[in-house]
Amino acid sequence: MEGADNLNAGRRSVLKAAGIIGTTTGLGAIAGCLDDPNEGEGTEEIVITQGEIIENPDPNDHITGPYFNVLDPVYEPLFNVTPEFEFEPRVVEDWEDTDDGAELTLRDDVVFHNGDEMTAEDVAYTFNRMIDPEVGIESDQAAGLGSIDNAEAVDDTTVLLEHEVAPSLAEYEYANYGRVVNQAWIEEREQPVAGDSADAFNGTGPYEVVEYEPDVQVVLEPFDDYWGEETTLERVVFNADGESSGRANALETGESDIVDNIIPEDVPGIDDADGVEIREETSLRNVFLVMKSGVEPFDSTEFRRAMNYAVDNEGIISNALGGYGAPMSQPIPEGVFGYNPDLDPYQQDVEQAEQLVEESGYAGAEITLYSPEGRYLNDADVAQMAADQIDQLENVSCEFNTAPFPDISDANSAGYDDEEMPFFLIGWGVITGDSDYGLAPFFTEDAALETLRNQEISEMILESQTIEDESEREQQLQEINAQLREEAPWVFLHSQDSVYGVREDLEWEPRTDESIYLWEIN
Amino acid sequence: MAFGKFLLKRSLQGILVVWGVVTVLFGLRAITPGDPVNLIVDPAVDLETRERIRQELGLDEPIYVQYGDYLGDLLVGDLGYSYQSSRPVATMVIERVPATLELAIAATIVALVIAIPLGVISGTRRNEPADYGATSFSLVGISTPNFWLGIMLILLLAVEFNIFPTGRRPVAFHDALWTFLTTFYVGDLLTWLHHIALPAVTLGTYFTALITRLTRSGMLDEYGKPYVTATEAKGIPETLIRYKHVLRNTMIPIITVLGLQLGTLIGGAVVTETVFSWPGLGLRLITAINNLDWPLIQGIIVFVGISYVIINIGVDAIYATLNPRVLDE
Repeated sequence: MEGADNLNAGRRSVLKAAGIIGTTTGLGAIAGCLDDPNEGEGTEEIVITQGEIIENPDPNDHITGPYFNVLDPVYEPLFNVTPEFEFEPRVVEDWEDTDDGAELTLRDDVVFHNGDEMTAEDVAYTFNRMIDPEVGIESDQAAGLGSIDNAEAVDDTTVLLEHEVAPSLAEYEYANYGRVVNQAWIEEREQPVAGDSADAFNGTGPYEVVEYEPDVQVVLEPFDDYWGEETTLERVVFNADGESSGRANALETGESDIVDNIIPEDVPGIDDADGVEIREETSLRNVFLVMKSGVEPFDSTEFRRAMNYAVDNEGIISNALGGYGAPMSQPIPEGVFGYNPDLDPYQQDVEQAEQLVEESGYAGAEITLYSPEGRYLNDADVAQMAADQIDQLENVSCEFNTAPFPDISDANSAGYDDEEMPFFLIGWGVITGDSDYGLAPFFTEDAALETLRNQEISEMILESQTIEDESEREQQLQEINAQLREEAPWVFLHSQDSVYGVREDLEWEPRTDESIYLWEIN
Repeated sequence: MAFGKFLLKRSLQGILVVWGVVTVLFGLRAITPGDPVNLIVDPAVDLETRERIRQELGLDEPIYVQYGDYLGDLLVGDLGYSYQSSRPVATMVIERVPATLELAIAATIVALVIAIPLGVISGTRRNEPADYGATSFSLVGISTPNFWLGIMLILLLAVEFNIFPTGRRPVAFHDALWTFLTTFYVGDLLTWLHHIALPAVTLGTYFTALITRLTRSGMLDEYGKPYVTATEAKGIPETLIRYKHVLRNTMIPIITVLGLQLGTLIGGAVVTETVFSWPGLGLRLITAINNLDWPLIQGIIVFVGISYVIINIGVDAIYATLNPRVLDE
C-alpha cells in the first residue's frame, strides 16, 4: 500500500508540475492582455523612456538633461524658456535689472505640493543653496550660476539676485537654474535630499510624484492646486533603459511613447515600425578634438589649423553618424547667444593642411589621438576616421587609441600644458544658452578646463562678462568666436543631433536644449 | 565544542576572504584613473572648489590613510555615499536585492520545472529519440550566451509577436503578493509574472541545461547500482523505482549544485538584468561601473562577497552537522 500511495503521490507531483507550467503560461497570456501596452490610449497617459532618470530627488543637485526632464514637471522652472532661448514669465511674473543685480517679481499664488505657500524667502534660499555650500549643498549647478553672488528676499514677492556682470549673462544663468525648493521642508531633511519614495519630492510644478523608484521609474499625476492651467496628461511615467536598442524595442512594442538617444543603427527599425517615427533636432552638444596649446606640436596655430583642414567633417557626419549632426564652425553651437553666423566650418583641404604643417615647423610630427568609447554618439568611430584623415597627410603621422572616459576627463582638466594626453575627443553642451558657458571654462587663464593660453582672448571673454548692452555683448562674443576659429584650439567636429523615437500621433517636437517639457506634449 | 571550533575557524577564514576582497577592490580603485570630483560637480567649476571637495572626501590624504578610513567605516557598517547620487551606498545596495533574488529564484524554478522531467525522460530512455532531443537541448542551452538569448527572445516574443514585454519590473513581487493577500486582486501578480517570464527563461536556460545533464547522468548512474536490481527483483513497479528511489538519490548532487549555482545566477544576472532593464544589483553595478562610482562599486561587490561567505559558512555548518567526520578533518 505504501508503494501504491507513493506511486499516486508521484503522479500527483507530475500532474502538479504540469499544472504549474500550464498555469504559468496561461497567467502569462492573461497578463499579456491585462498588461496591454495600449491600455493607456484614451486615458491621456504617456510613458517616456530615457537612457537614464534621476537617482536622487534633489532638484538642485544635478545638471543632467534627462534628470531635468523628470524633475521639471515637479519642480517647475522659474521661467519658460522658448526653443529659441527667450525667457517668458512663469513663476517669475516680471524681472528687471537694478544697480545691484536683477529683481524678480514672483506670482503670489504658488503653492508647494505639501500645501505650503511659496515665498520670496524660498526662492532666495534656493539660489543661495546652490551657490554657497555653507548654506546648502555642493551643487552641480553652481558653475552655471557662477555670476550670481547672493540672493535676498526684498518682500513677500520680490527677490534680488546680486551680481556684478552683464545683465544678459546673469539672465541666462538665473533663468536656466532655480527650481524652487521649500526652505522649511528642505532644512528638515538630509542634504542633498536623497529619499527613495514619493515623499522625497515637494515642488510647485503642475505634476506631483506618486511613485518613485530611484534610477528605475517615476510616476507623475496632476497637482490639483497648481496655479496654472489644467494639465493635459492624467498620468506620466518616466522610466530608464540604458540601451538604445532596448528603448527602440519599448517604442516599437507600444510600451513607450517617447524614447530618447536613439543611435543611428536603431533608426531603420523604428522607421519600419507602424505608428512610430524618428524625430530629431541638432543639440547644443558639440563634439571636438582638444589640442592643448601648451604642448608641442599643438603650440603652433598653423599646426592646429592644419589639423582642421585635414579632417573631412561632413564625411564623418555622413558616415559615422548616419547624418545626425551638423558641422561646427566655432566653439559655440548655433542657437546660442553669441554664435557667429558669418563663420563657415573648415572644409577639408589636404594640400593646405600639409602646407600649414610645413609652416609650423613640425613636419614629420607624430601624434596620438585618444577617444572615449560609448560616451558620445559613435565617438570612437568619429575619432578613428579623423585620425585616419590626419594620418593621410604626408608630413604628419597620427595614431588612434581609445581611452577610458575618466582618463579623458582628467586630461581635460589637467591644464593647457599637460603633456600626458594633449590630443583627445570630448564633448561639451552649452546648456545655459549663452556663449560664456562654452568659452570661459576653456579659454580664460587658469580656468578649470583651460585648453588655449591666449591672453587677448582671455581678456576679451572676461570683458564680455561685464558688457551691459546686450547687442554690444553679442558682438563681442561673436568676435571672440571668430578669433577662436582662426586660433583653432580644437579640431571643430560637429554638433550632435538629438534623435528621438516618438509615437506618430503625439504632438511634440524635440528642442535644441534637449528638454522634454510635459506642457509641450499633446 | 568541536562544532563551535569548526564554525569559529570557518568564520575567521571568511573574515580573511572579505578582507581580501575589500583590499583588492581598494587597490583597483587606487590605480584606476579618473577624478571623482568630476562625478560630483560640473567639470567647469573652479579649481578652488574642486580642491575643497577633494579635501572633504579625504582624497588628498595618502592612500594608506584612505584605506584605513575605509576599513574603519566598513567595520561599523558605513559603506559611504554614492558619488553620483549622494545617496547612502548601503541603502542603494539593499533596495536592489529583492529584484535580483526574484530573478534568481524564478530562473531556478524555470530550470527545475523543465530540467527534472527532461532529465528523467532522457535518463530512462537512453539512446532513444527523446534522449537525443534532451541532450541536444542541453548542449544548445549550455552553449548559448544569455545576452544573445535575451535579445533574441525580446525580438521574437516581444517585438515581433508582442506576447511579452521587453523587460522592466513595474511591480515588486512582495508588493504584488501583499496586494493579492489584502485585496485578492491578482492583476499585479500577473503583471509581475508577465514581466519576469523572459528574463527568468534567459537566466535559467544555462541552468536548465546543466540540471538536465546532471539528472540524466545521475539517473544512469543510479540505474546501474545493485539496489535498483534488488528492487526490480522484488517486483516493485518501474515507475515507483524511477521516482521513489532513483530520482530521489539523483536529487542529492542536484541540490548541492543548486546551492553552488546561486552565485553563478547572481553573476549571470548582471547581463540579464542589463538586457531586460531588470532593476537588480547587477544593473546597478553596471551603471556604477559606467559612472566610475567607486563607493557604490565597492559596496555592491563587498555585499556580494559577504553574502557568499555567509552562504558558504552555512553550507559548511550543515555538512558538518550531517557528516561529523568533517569536524575531524
